Amino acid sequence: MNLEHELRAALRRKSPAPGLAERVLARAHEVPERRPVRRAPWAVAASLLLAVTLAGWGAHRRAEGERAREQVLLAMRIAGSKVAYAQQQVRGISK
Amino acid sequence: MKILLRLVLVFALTPVVYAQRVNLDFPGLADKAREVVDVTLDGALLRLGSRFLSDTDADERAVRDMVDRLEGIYVRSYEFGSDGYDRSAIDAVRKQLGPTWKRVVSVKSKTRDDVEIYTDLRGDKIVGLVVIAAEPRELTLVNLVGPIDLDKLATLEGQFGIPRVSKKGDRQ
Repeated sequence: MNLEHELRAALRRKSPAPGLAERVLARAHEVPERRPVRRAPWAVAASLLLAVTLAGWGAHRRAEGERAREQVLLAMRIAGSKVAYAQQQVRGISK
Repeated sequence: MKILLRLVLVFALTPVVYAQRVNLDFPGLADKAREVVDVTLDGALLRLGSRFLSDTDADERAVRDMVDRLEGIYVRSYEFGSDGYDRSAIDAVRKQLGPTWKRVVSVKSKTRDDVEIYTDLRGDKIVGLVVIAAEPRELTLVNLVGPIDLDKLATLEGQFGIPRVSKKGDRQ
């Protein structure tokens, strides 16, 4: 008897508190607050890495360019000197 | 479709006027030499070297004007000891030169280099150059691939000495 009474009390239909529907709808439309992601340190590290890599590549490219420039000058002077010598000899003979 | 056909015809009929590259490397020659200058510049490396030539220096500007039109620069210069070198390398260079190549200068000297200059002539344009300069203890081989003005090239000798490069590639 007592159990039956307790069950009835527990399963009794209760009316929601006034304004519950409005509160639920209002909550549903709220934009959830985002947790701030700590991206700044990663961005700084990535930028630094990129800057160092680019600087290294630039220095390597400059050194390579300077070496190539010296080779060009050396080669053209050797070629030029041999052609000039041959031309001088030909002009000397034809005079 | 007609435009595409015209383009194909234009490319098919345009003669390719690049000179051949001549092999200047012969087994044992560099090993026997006391000093070696070995320059191989083509493609991207040649363009890179050209970009680094000065705009303000007149000599370098003149070099760049020539180099910008070239496809390749190959130079081998060897200095040998008293026993000299195997002259068959010179014949090996000559044998590679096809029918478009003409010997334009040949200098025989008792005191200095014997020099032969060969040009690859296509029409009235020089598109390749080979220079063979031989002394008893020195051999210089040059191959330039691309359009060349011989008179301008001769002026590039300049007033600078030609630095020697050791076998390890260090300039001396």
